[in-house]
Amino acid sequence: MKKDYLTKKWLVNKLTDAELKDFERMDDFDINTKIVEKAKLFDIPVSESVKSYSDFKKDLSNSGSKVIRLNTISPLLRVAGVFVIAIGLYFLFFFNNLTIIETLASQKTNFELPDASEVLLNVDSQIKFNKRKWNDKRELTLKGEAFFKVEKGSKFDVITSNGIVSVVGTKFNVKSRDNYFEVKCFEGIVGIKSNDIIKELKKGNTYRIYNNTIMIDSVTTNQPEWMHNISSFKSVPLSMVVHEFERQYGIEVEAQKVDVERIFTGSFANDNMEQALISITVPFNLKYKKSGSNKISIYKSEQ
Amino acid sequence: MIKKNSKGVCEEHLFSNIYEKYSKDLYTYLYFKFGGQITINDKVQDAFMQLWINCKKVIPAKARAYLFKVGKNLVLNDIKHQKIVLKYQQTPQKNYTNETPEFLLEEEQFMQKYQLALGKLTEDQRIAFLMNKVKGKRPTEIAEMLGVTRRVIENRIFVAFKKLKEEIKELNSK
Repeated sequence: MKKDYLTKKWLVNKLTDAELKDFERMDDFDINTKIVEKAKLFDIPVSESVKSYSDFKKDLSNSGSKVIRLNTISPLLRVAGVFVIAIGLYFLFFFNNLTIIETLASQKTNFELPDASEVLLNVDSQIKFNKRKWNDKRELTLKGEAFFKVEKGSKFDVITSNGIVSVVGTKFNVKSRDNYFEVKCFEGIVGIKSNDIIKELKKGNTYRIYNNTIMIDSVTTNQPEWMHNISSFKSVPLSMVVHEFERQYGIEVEAQKVDVERIFTGSFANDNMEQALISITVPFNLKYKKSGSNKISIYKSEQ
Repeated sequence: MIKKNSKGVCEEHLFSNIYEKYSKDLYTYLYFKFGGQITINDKVQDAFMQLWINCKKVIPAKARAYLFKVGKNLVLNDIKHQKIVLKYQQTPQKNYTNETPEFLLEEEQFMQKYQLALGKLTEDQRIAFLMNKVKGKRPTEIAEMLGVTRRVIENRIFVAFKKLKEEIKELNSK
């Protein structure tokens, strides 16, 4: 105890002369002094020392612009913040409710819209619609081909890159591929708006636009053929038929020295590739062969 | 010297006074607290820069506490409490002719143990001990600098010393 007391006082230079004598007589006096002596070696290296005030002033003036900028940037940051929030809200309310339904090649699907209207989506197609706004505005975007069986109600719009199809309540099929646009009406009346053309389509009619050529035709079936696994065509170029074949079977077709602009009328099965190929090639006097696991080539038969 | 009605430390002469008065202490404080691994000089400058930017908000009486706090936080932002190792000066202070190689080796070992033991102290203990023994600052001065009482500092010095001694002795006996 006495030892600690003396050491404590010694450390802060408060020992009386008599106490100092006692302290010096202690057996660990040597190590005590050595520890305190050697502490000085841990001084901050001479090479490192604090900068002078004039140096500091120089640094300050160098970064002087920074000081001001900090203040002027804050309103900018506020504006940026508002934008971030606005964009965030925009995405929250307009994009989060966007429902996307997609099919790949050789894949079909059917689903119901929020008002119980039915949609059958053909291969390699996509439909986008806003679930939340559906009750106010029945509107969807279509890429590819789909059959709609619309519940009666307000206006129902199908937007495609080739035109807009509007109905009130009916059954109809829309096909929009590249520059081919086809609407088939199976029931009721369908309104079509494509570029400047506004057209009303009555039950049992087909409306076609291909490369800006308009055709109006009748429909013989009461459902699109593709629902029964048949792709049917009327007066379309061979290239269109081949593309549809590629989509239905998820396969690549190569046409060698074949005039793909020749017009095709007919149909092919969507569930039997051999038959389908025959349906396509025979009328044109063509032949086909497999040229890879996922590739078929069509060529002119030499006679 | 300080006008009663001036609230901040924005006035040039006031600020330069504060700089002259505290920059060295702040440097020493940060050095003993965190060791020489980081560029303390930059942190000292940054701390004063912060004081200058906020000079209107800091009254002269609070300038020291403000600087120490900002300085400490600036360093802490940089390092994640790594083990500190203080450098010691290699050159022996006295150069006796009778210093044998064995003696020099012993001295070197002693210093290495000392260094290790210093690293094991708490920051507060190390600062108090080294400020007092290396910089020769009186306990009252250190107490004022750190905003604690003199007795606390005296106790820290004592505890630090005791720990150092124990550590060095323990290592000696091995």
